Amino acid sequence: MSLKADVMLDAKGLACPMPIVKTKKAMNGLTEGQILEVLATDKGSKADLAAWSKSVGHQYIGTTEDGDVMKHYIRKCSNDAVVEKQYDQIVQLDELAVKALEGGIILDVREEAEYAFGHIEGAKSIPMGELETRMEEIPKDQVIYVVCQTGRRSDLVAQKLASSGFGSVFNVIPGMTEWNGEVKTSL
Amino acid sequence: MTNKVAIIASNGGLFDAYKVYNIATAAAATDKEVTIFFTFEGLNLIHKQGMQALPMPEGREAIAEGFAKANVPSIPELAAMSQELGVKFIACQMTMDVMGLTVEDFVDGIEVGGAVTFLEFAKDAAPTLTF
Repeated sequence: MSLKADVMLDAKGLACPMPIVKTKKAMNGLTEGQILEVLATDKGSKADLAAWSKSVGHQYIGTTEDGDVMKHYIRKCSNDAVVEKQYDQIVQLDELAVKALEGGIILDVREEAEYAFGHIEGAKSIPMGELETRMEEIPKDQVIYVVCQTGRRSDLVAQKLASSGFGSVFNVIPGMTEWNGEVKTSL
Repeated sequence: MTNKVAIIASNGGLFDAYKVYNIATAAAATDKEVTIFFTFEGLNLIHKQGMQALPMPEGREAIAEGFAKANVPSIPELAAMSQELGVKFIACQMTMDVMGLTVEDFVDGIEVGGAVTFLEFAKDAAPTLTF
């Protein structure tokens, strides 16, 4: 299957270090938050791209395999991404499991590919960019726990929901990057 | 943490060239500042003619087929790619003098320097690699 990506790079048939070199160049053309899909047949590229992403500061989301072809998903992050959290209604990630038992909805606002490679069971997926057009899918009479990767996108979404008439909205911090519980995949 | 990778290329075979340029391009693509110091037979790796036909280790000629099959870039391609990614090439002045070579014998864009030039760069590099 193919997951949604903003840019696709075909590195099939290339040997190390070419998939890395091509990925580096392709990544320069993305804006922060966009997702790059890298097609490769080099079996070492999975470990290499994960290590490369970590070293350079991007988010390696995961890899799917389709026969000999691997599809790697990487989300572009910028190094100066530390922004003050502004929405003041927050729930700590480690309290989320208990809170959610009392009802409410976990709203995962990461991109489709990030959600597919691992999300909290029962979490509803609406990528941040689709919030405006899909807001009616979110019930107004329930508590909403907004989660993303680090707490940054969810902060923006929580603010948006609160100002759109949702009465009980919480930003979950930090985010899935620190989640140690079970995850569901949808690949 | 240091962001530098220092490489000494002192051998002139085809395998040596791949080791040097693969690590160099991978490091440069990972936003490292990379310098290669070419000395003794390592100068083959940037020699305009020499780099076109670097020798295989004896008895391993069959591997040439493997290189073609794996779609590995040629050494001149890897050298150009390294430079494009910002890898700095330093040719060893002393070895050039001994071998009667001048800057014109090498690919464009190289610097010529002595051991101290490299040591100055490598003093806070991690890792420093020798091939």
